[in-house]
Amino acid sequence: MASIGQSTKPTGNKDALIRARQRAALVPELLVDALRIVNTVMAGWHGRKKRGIGETFWQYRPYTQGETMARIDWRRSARDDQTYVRDQEWEAAHTIWLWVDQSTSMLFKSSAAPVSKESRALVVTFALAELFARAGERVGYPGLLKPSANRKGAERLATAFATQTTAMPDTPSFLQVQRFSDVVLVSDFLGDTDETLAMIDDLASQGARMHLIEIVDPAEEDFPYGGRTEFIDPETGTKLTAGRAEDWRDDYRNLYQARRHALKARCRAHGGSYTISRTDHLASETLVRLHGFMTGNPAATGKMAGAS
Amino acid sequence: MFGLPLAFAVPAVLFGLIALPVIWWLLRLTPPKPESEVFPPLRILQKLVKREETPSKSPWWLTLLRLLLAALVIFALARPLLNPQTEIALEDGPLLIMVDNSWASASDWSARQRTGAALIQSAGERGVPVAISPSVSPPNATITLVDAATAAASFATLEPVAAEPNRAQALNRLSEAASGSENATLAILSDGLAQGEQDSALDFNSNAVAKTLLFNGEITQLAAVSDAQNRTDALEATVIRSQNSQLADEINVNAIDEKGRLLGTATAYFEDGANEAVAAFEVPFELRNDMATLRVENQANAAATYLLDENNRRRRFALFSGLAGDEAQPLLSPLYYIERAIQPYADIVRPRTNDLSVDVPEILEQGPAVIVMADIGVLPNVVEDQVENWIEAGGTLVRFAGPRLAASAEVDPFLPVSLRSGERDLGGALTWTEPQVVAPFSATGPFAELDAPRDVTVNRQLLANPDAQLAEKTWASLQDGTPLVTGERRGQGTIVLFHVTAEATWSNLPISGSFVDMLRRIADISANTGASEIAAQSTASETLAPLRIVRSDGELISPPAFVKPRDTGNSAVTNYENPAGLYGTQDAFSALNILSSGAALTPFVMPQTEATVETLPYAVAEQTDLSGWLFALAFLLLIIDTLAMLWINGRFKRSYKTASASAAVLIAITVSGLIPDPAVAQDAKPGDELLIENLDATRIGYVLTGRQDTDKITKAGISGISRYLESRTAFEPSDPVGLDIETDALAIYPLIYFPIDANADMPSDTAIARLDAYMQSGGTILFDTRDQIGGSFNAGQSPENQRLRDIMRNLNVPPLEPVPADHVLTKSFYILDTFPGIYDGSPLWVQASTDEEGIDRPVRRGDGVSPVLITGNDLAGAWALDEAGKPLLPIASGNPLQRIYAFRTGVNIMMYMLTGNYKADQVHIPALLERLGQ
Repeated sequence: MASIGQSTKPTGNKDALIRARQRAALVPELLVDALRIVNTVMAGWHGRKKRGIGETFWQYRPYTQGETMARIDWRRSARDDQTYVRDQEWEAAHTIWLWVDQSTSMLFKSSAAPVSKESRALVVTFALAELFARAGERVGYPGLLKPSANRKGAERLATAFATQTTAMPDTPSFLQVQRFSDVVLVSDFLGDTDETLAMIDDLASQGARMHLIEIVDPAEEDFPYGGRTEFIDPETGTKLTAGRAEDWRDDYRNLYQARRHALKARCRAHGGSYTISRTDHLASETLVRLHGFMTGNPAATGKMAGAS
Repeated sequence: MFGLPLAFAVPAVLFGLIALPVIWWLLRLTPPKPESEVFPPLRILQKLVKREETPSKSPWWLTLLRLLLAALVIFALARPLLNPQTEIALEDGPLLIMVDNSWASASDWSARQRTGAALIQSAGERGVPVAISPSVSPPNATITLVDAATAAASFATLEPVAAEPNRAQALNRLSEAASGSENATLAILSDGLAQGEQDSALDFNSNAVAKTLLFNGEITQLAAVSDAQNRTDALEATVIRSQNSQLADEINVNAIDEKGRLLGTATAYFEDGANEAVAAFEVPFELRNDMATLRVENQANAAATYLLDENNRRRRFALFSGLAGDEAQPLLSPLYYIERAIQPYADIVRPRTNDLSVDVPEILEQGPAVIVMADIGVLPNVVEDQVENWIEAGGTLVRFAGPRLAASAEVDPFLPVSLRSGERDLGGALTWTEPQVVAPFSATGPFAELDAPRDVTVNRQLLANPDAQLAEKTWASLQDGTPLVTGERRGQGTIVLFHVTAEATWSNLPISGSFVDMLRRIADISANTGASEIAAQSTASETLAPLRIVRSDGELISPPAFVKPRDTGNSAVTNYENPAGLYGTQDAFSALNILSSGAALTPFVMPQTEATVETLPYAVAEQTDLSGWLFALAFLLLIIDTLAMLWINGRFKRSYKTASASAAVLIAITVSGLIPDPAVAQDAKPGDELLIENLDATRIGYVLTGRQDTDKITKAGISGISRYLESRTAFEPSDPVGLDIETDALAIYPLIYFPIDANADMPSDTAIARLDAYMQSGGTILFDTRDQIGGSFNAGQSPENQRLRDIMRNLNVPPLEPVPADHVLTKSFYILDTFPGIYDGSPLWVQASTDEEGIDRPVRRGDGVSPVLITGNDLAGAWALDEAGKPLLPIASGNPLQRIYAFRTGVNIMMYMLTGNYKADQVHIPALLERLGQ
């Protein structure tokens, strides 16, 4: 019986360049995917240019059922019988940094998932780039692409990926990130949790708002292994043999969820968002959800989002 | 090996077992290969591992399993043999086999077969010819040297015979067969028993024989019955066993009758080291006489079965009477009462002619135990000596008084006491004395244990001359002290005299129960004086045809073809043609037993010969190659190992649908091969469904006559009365059921209506028998001849009536009577005085009540319901309604009230069926209520 999980392109840590090339070959296909997803997601949005994340008042609008009560403007609502919500204007010159984890662990794909984690991560990233570019935002990628407003955001990013000549560092440098910019981190966050938390704290201290998208393979979350199993870390090559893997299942899940909760809680504490994208679910779900967070209206899109 | 008869054909392979520790080490070191999985969140797992150690070695039981598997394979390769056969070295010359197929070889005959087969096989391998000479064989058998294959075939057909071996003859034949050859091997497959002088006479042409192989049989397990004697109080069987016997000191002997039933068991207690013990069957005479066979328990040899014949059994009574030919008036015959008294436990021998001088010698030849002479005065001189000798030798002479003896008493030599001439008359017309009663029996005589009869009176008797010994010779006397029965020992025999006649003229003793007891006591003290030679009775034939033959395992069978008639002139020694068994006819047979009195089981010792003698054991059991079983076991372990590996690797959990399914299939195949299909008993019978269907409600049955019009009216009639019952009573019958009385179950119907149709077929005997059984088991049949218009039940002219009589002829019908006015039927629901149907004239017949007349009761006691009701009024016709509830048939008299009464009749009958005597008991209600204290 074949093993459950596999690394799609098992390449060493040092061959990032080769991997980059291989990834570049993958890019056009992913780009098409991303554009298709963006089109379906965009179709459902209205007035996006009017309201959004910003500092200034934009409008009062009637409260709709399901919105959080905290957004109700009680002063305006007290004037007549209706309940109103205050919208802010979407600030135009918003900078959004995208970053994709390109470590070896992202190459993992289990039999239950249609795509590898990396493939999903890139699709989400390109789609976000396209979305934000169309919305007139400045999209940048640390170490690869300087923030600029360009209609063809995804294409630009894809080109950058495809023509990338140097290996990308595993941990990005966010030195260029300034206040009021948004940072979208797409990764499996399976590295050292403490390092990740430190990075989040750093970003928060720089005044940026961060959005973490955790790409998860179902095998990682569900741990469907059983029997005598030897586990190999794709990054370090460390091996670990379980006598009866099913005995570990419950403990593993607890630890796994604990890690996720730690990240999520830290993220929320800094006003950011944490989205989970399972590779066996649709990528558009992630986009809709993330967009909801970024436009400050997560409840409206909450119904569509699969992950919490 | 290990105390088991186990050896290895290739023991060198067992050195492979040394490798086991290495295998163990390797197995411990190399655990099963794990499934390799890429797993990015390994760091999380690593946190877990701090708590839980991963087993890097195989589980111990898996290692053990595999070691066992390896060991099994090594053992299997070494070809283990159960009961290994030792190689037998033969000489270059022919192989001569002398085999004892006698009775003692039967219990382990298969061992001899195997040994012989092995011998012949090795002879075949060496290419030497073989001669086989069984020691129990036909007298004209010839032995030749044949090749091994032929010899093996003929040896396989040899069977033990319930007879003594004749080894000298067998060896002679062998030496004839082997004459001219050299370097022969003589194999003696003996049964282990010495044959006494026969053995010392064993001689063999020792020049030709280079080596003698002696296979000596085991006799320490043998026990046999050598003799059986019917003593006064017990049948004593002599059980013998060998020296140093391994049998228990208590050996049970079973007595079996002619039909194979066990009559009793006696135990022979062997004293320490004794070879002989006696098992005594202390059972009554009658039971002893039924014994046909004695068998030693748990012994499958022919000598453990001892056949009994007439000699061991009943006493023979010879009856002589002075009055010949009184057969027209048997009650007056003096021998009649004696015959009746002794018949149950003795054989009666009658004189052929009425000439004492001819009869007495003839009968004495048969060796009777008792000769009864009723009123015989004088014996012819020619036979006096013979009788005298017979008595001296142990015969018992019983004489009864009578006019003739009274006349000749003074000169008669065969009397226990001297008698006065003439008889004494008591209570006659010319005497003052009363008839005398019997005094208590003498405490020293044989009747001491008996109670003297109180009701016996003696009118006449012979008186003894008083002398000093009279008192001790008197076994029974009258109240006045005069002797009634006297006896005297003479030599080993006894003479008994009854001082009254054998018939009831002088006293009523012969018709009392005491007479039987007294004769029996006399029979007990008597003994047969010689073996009854059947030839004496049937002088024409010299030989006796075989009747039943003892098989070699001790069972009695019909004689096989090789058994020849037995010449009674020959000595009673069993041989091939005359094995142990019963010879003669069913009524008169003599038993031929293997052992005779004084026999002993002594071990066979080979007489000294010049050739070397090698003593070998028999091959006790078949050599079995166990490697196949071991390989099978190893394969099973392999399967278990595979399943265990699948389980360890979690295949059963990971991919439930594939791995576990295939494992389940594997297990199912393995298990289905091991567990036999449980067979479920088939106890369903045809018609069960119908029976169950008809059980849920009470139904009235009616008999299908086979004639459509009758059956139609009957069905409509029973339906009609069912509807009427439903509307008027609490009883709600279901649809009526038409019954084929020959096949259908009848027992579930409380009432079966039987319309008699003379045109229908007569019910078969089976059907009538079933009706009878139904009635006996509590059912009731209502016969309706429907012929009141033509006659009545009594008249008997109508064909229906005749048919009914024909049917009832084979039924157990109680006496019948027309329903009396006080019968329960008249008031079980409605008060009725007539029971009309379409017709009104016929009475309803029921079982006659046996109650005493004249007791004034409102209702007769009606315990039990009449099993049969008979009417001629065509009840069903009156009850028959169509769908709309309109009557189908008109009432004969035209009176519409009669139909209502017909229905009421039906209701009463049905209530009578269902409640029985309950209605009769209702009359007691006032009294019961009063008693309850109201």
